[in-house]
Amino acid sequence: MFASKPKGAEPVTAFDKAAPSAEYPWSLLSGPKVWRTVLAPALAVALAFAVTALPIAISGKNPVLAYWALLRGAVGSIDAIAFALNKSTPYVLAGVGVAMCFRSKVINIGSEGQIAVGGVAASWIALSFSYLPSPILIVTALLAAGVAGAVWAGIAAVIRLKRGVHEVLGTLMLNFVGTLFVSEVLHGPMGEIGAGFPQSPLFSQAAWLPSLFPGANLHMGIAVAVVAVFVCHLLLWHTPFGFRLRVLGSSRNAAAYAGVSFARAVLEVMLIAGALAGTAGGIEVLGVHYRLIQGFSQGFGFNAVAIALLAGLNPIAVLPAGLFFGFLEAGALSMQREMGVPSSLVFVIQGLTMVFVLCSMGIGLKQQRV
Amino acid sequence: MSATLEMRGICKRYGSVRANRHIDLTVPRGRIVGLLGENGSGKTTLMKVLFGMVRADAGTITFKGKELRDHTPRDAIAAGIGMIHQQFMLVDAMTVAENVMLGWARAGKWLRTGEISQLIRNASATYGLELEPDAVVGELPFGHRQRVEIVKAILRGADLLVLDEPTSNLSPPEVAGLLGVMRRLREEGRSVIFISHKLGEVLEICDGVIVLRDGEVTGSCQARNATRAQLARMMIGRDIARASPPAEQTPGPELMNVQGISMRDRSGFERLHQVTFTLREGEILAVAGVDGNGQEELVEVLAGLKKQTQGRIMLGTRDITVASAKARLKAGLAYIPVDRVNTSLVQGLSIEDNLGLRDFELSPLRRGPWLDRRAFRQQAVLRIAQFGIHCGGPDLAAETLSGGNQQKIVVAREIGRRPRVLIAFQPTLGLDPGATQFVVDQILALRDAGGAVLYISAELEEVLMLGDRIGVLYNGRLSGIVRRHEADVTKIGLLMAGIEEAAA
Amino acid sequence: MSTSVLIELLAASVRIATPLLLVALGGVLSENAGTFAVGLEGMMLMGAFGGAVSTFVLKNVVAGLVASVICGAAIAAVVAVATAKFRADQMVTGLAVNILAFGLTSFLLRGLFGGRAPVIALPTLGPLAVPYLSRVPIAGQVLFQQPALTYAAFLLTIPIHFFLFKTRAGLTLRAVGENPVAAFSVGTNPVSVRMAATIAGGGLAGVGGAVLSLQEIGTFTDGMTNGRGFIALAAIIVGRWMPFRVMLGCLLFGAASAIALNIQDWGLPVSSYIIQMTPYLIALAVLCGVGRATRMPAAIGKPFTRS
Repeated sequence: MFASKPKGAEPVTAFDKAAPSAEYPWSLLSGPKVWRTVLAPALAVALAFAVTALPIAISGKNPVLAYWALLRGAVGSIDAIAFALNKSTPYVLAGVGVAMCFRSKVINIGSEGQIAVGGVAASWIALSFSYLPSPILIVTALLAAGVAGAVWAGIAAVIRLKRGVHEVLGTLMLNFVGTLFVSEVLHGPMGEIGAGFPQSPLFSQAAWLPSLFPGANLHMGIAVAVVAVFVCHLLLWHTPFGFRLRVLGSSRNAAAYAGVSFARAVLEVMLIAGALAGTAGGIEVLGVHYRLIQGFSQGFGFNAVAIALLAGLNPIAVLPAGLFFGFLEAGALSMQREMGVPSSLVFVIQGLTMVFVLCSMGIGLKQQRV
Repeated sequence: MSATLEMRGICKRYGSVRANRHIDLTVPRGRIVGLLGENGSGKTTLMKVLFGMVRADAGTITFKGKELRDHTPRDAIAAGIGMIHQQFMLVDAMTVAENVMLGWARAGKWLRTGEISQLIRNASATYGLELEPDAVVGELPFGHRQRVEIVKAILRGADLLVLDEPTSNLSPPEVAGLLGVMRRLREEGRSVIFISHKLGEVLEICDGVIVLRDGEVTGSCQARNATRAQLARMMIGRDIARASPPAEQTPGPELMNVQGISMRDRSGFERLHQVTFTLREGEILAVAGVDGNGQEELVEVLAGLKKQTQGRIMLGTRDITVASAKARLKAGLAYIPVDRVNTSLVQGLSIEDNLGLRDFELSPLRRGPWLDRRAFRQQAVLRIAQFGIHCGGPDLAAETLSGGNQQKIVVAREIGRRPRVLIAFQPTLGLDPGATQFVVDQILALRDAGGAVLYISAELEEVLMLGDRIGVLYNGRLSGIVRRHEADVTKIGLLMAGIEEAAA
Repeated sequence: MSTSVLIELLAASVRIATPLLLVALGGVLSENAGTFAVGLEGMMLMGAFGGAVSTFVLKNVVAGLVASVICGAAIAAVVAVATAKFRADQMVTGLAVNILAFGLTSFLLRGLFGGRAPVIALPTLGPLAVPYLSRVPIAGQVLFQQPALTYAAFLLTIPIHFFLFKTRAGLTLRAVGENPVAAFSVGTNPVSVRMAATIAGGGLAGVGGAVLSLQEIGTFTDGMTNGRGFIALAAIIVGRWMPFRVMLGCLLFGAASAIALNIQDWGLPVSSYIIQMTPYLIALAVLCGVGRATRMPAAIGKPFTRS
């Protein structure tokens, strides 16, 4: 028979192939599946809550009571649930876009800016075309919001591809510009004269997002978010586009071998993420505030990242992750009212959750030597 | 005069592989000893043992009269052994002086750059190194970067320098330069172990030569007494009449024509020089050669992943010289890369997805804007059966499979598409005998069915066994293409070692 | 534009650049060792908080500065451990820490001082005129009538430069950021070096935050850093990771902010929000101009593993 020596059964010492792995160790697709998708995030959340109990205790409040108030504030009544679902909507939308980006190793933290310009676009349509019948007005406004967000993300993508400006810095700077842009238009063409606070005039009722159930304060945005999640899932697993993302996110070499164009994939995924975030911005102004107000997009960018991570970059999992964040924040507001525990605690929990999830991902990296 | 280094009876085994079997190596003071051998002969292990990176199972090492036992690389350096690895431990962004000062206590807490620079200049003058202390290492040509490693070793007081395949990436003038440096080292009373597979250089510079094969010393002589043919035989001679070669068959018409492919890499180094060959239907062209002689560049250029600087590639009547990898795939050119981990497979994707890795944009796997997952599944089930891939199911991740089964995925994908031409680059690397046999059988089957195969391997056995025609790649040049029955093992060995003329 | 306005502008640029400079110098240490300094914003915020609160409570600026170092270093330790020991992704860990810092400072502010949005008022540290030099026309006003911490910050550039480029420890640190394997092969432990650099950088960034809350604004408010940490990051890139050039970058961004603050006085028909955008737009423009991140520490972002 044809005999061949097994090659190189030598132990790999530090001096051997000692180069640290050349690939960005962004191997979210390594590690046993259950650990990665369920246990690690759950553990991270639990740990985050545990650690956060410390500052609560230091400030003189009882952590258990505080968390109980949090829970009641989140799910204690139909109104609470509706409120929480509304809050979750932009998180899910932005989060699923960011998850897709991260899958291809594109670190898009620009959701805040994309939401901001999306809101501006939707507001402009709502104010300028208020004579249109409601469904058309709403759809047009949301479409405009999506386009605006896509363009905003596209700018970051282009400067990344053409000038090598890392997308973290690019999207970040654009976040600030986008938020300031909102302030700019509110002090100019779209501002409401005489209002004490920078805001646009109230939209006509035709522009308001209808609610899902009559009587409940729940707007249909959550339905859009759910649809978006499933669409992204389909895109990722059932289209050539998603295939390209999954290959690109694993290895640049494999991507070249498979014929995947880096530039094309980066641009496509950023545009989609931008469109999703922009739409979220449109939903916020049309469904929550019924006007454009300054600062409505605050903080969404980093939350979207946290949610995407918590979901293990799986579109479907972004739904529970986003809901978790939404319910968390809704509950935190209530906790603040009832117990005087500042709602900013929720950021502590979010930040800690992210750190723990990231550590678990780092641990989950196997020593990849075949 | 007592020898600087004496290694006696070194044995080292890794599991069932005996990498070093009772190896004796003596290096006298002020002498250059060549350590000759091809991939897997045990030279790297021997040097690791010497340098303390690996502990020998048996044997003694005596250096400058003192025994080295259970030592670490730091001890080896302190004793006066300097190792110049193939992969340099240099910081490209820093200057020569900074690299020398890194981790060297002599440089002081506040960097004594002036003093160290002077030392570098002195050593450079003594040994003909031509190094400027202020030069940025990243901007130096490859040969000079190597010299930075050498000057590091010299300044730290190395009496014995071990150079591991130092000329692999050097141009001829740079090789001459390095040999000159080695001569100066010898004149200054230092010893050198020169590890190489290149006969010509070894004979030119070494005083003594030791040949390793399969972990044993197969020859030990003075360079001036040895003939090239002898050394080549000692290096690669083996019984090849073990298994029966595949049946001869008359090859069909020409399928692929490669003319004058040359390629320079980013640093301007010529990796391929005028590579020319043809492939005919139903034949395997097997190319031998030690790693690093342009194999990787050749297969990537042919597959469309890297660009050549000159030359033409024809597939049938089609000129694919500038065609993309995808287009070449479509035209019937399949490619099995050597790297399963990062290139030919995506470890985190399912087996099913990996089987469609290169075809997912074409029908039947793609239908309009969608992926046809049923087609994926059907293909996967088919291939798993056809190629006997042992797995729990097509939806498991590729990384759950053994190395052999992972390679089966790659083979199933590339051969399963019934390509006209297959380029296989070390397809049996790291596989057990069973998996190796499988891959070989599949490639032979493709050839029997009329496909053309370019098979590049560092395993000479495989090359001699599989090739209808056999060639040798050395220094980016493809030469010595002969039919199997005309193949002369000695001549092939000489070509692999860089000797062109069949001189005795 | 009259000379006096120009002089005021320049002086303001120097003053505003101060916190940026301290933060950026901290980032220079961290990034030269191979850790992305994306968490600078959070470290600065923690330092701003620590500095403001400690000074307010202990009525002592020095105590405040010490506290700011500790706060900045503490949050940097989170990044250090996560990225160097657990090999978590550096970019995203930095972002996580920014969120964490925002929440923690905001929470503790209310927790310690009660009320919904407490305002602690502090006298801002005033300018300290350097004798003789401050009388030099133009340059004297611009450079030598600055608050004490400004002098300290700009002077700090010198020892940092020396450390990085003239000492063996600095050489080792830079080697870890360029080629940790090479550093490892000569006996360094890249993991410890990276952690130390990140934490030290965090301490510096903390001082930068203290300068913001103690010297410039005079109080602590939620998220008061408002992106300055990222501007500092842009300055690091613009300055090619070298202390003196980074200083120039910070001055550039300081000038942009100074213009933004004063432009209303000049009655130009430009909206103040557009003006506020300019530092970020300039940062983007400069980054685009710098192009492919030239000569970034080669091993930045890649965790070191003893394969």
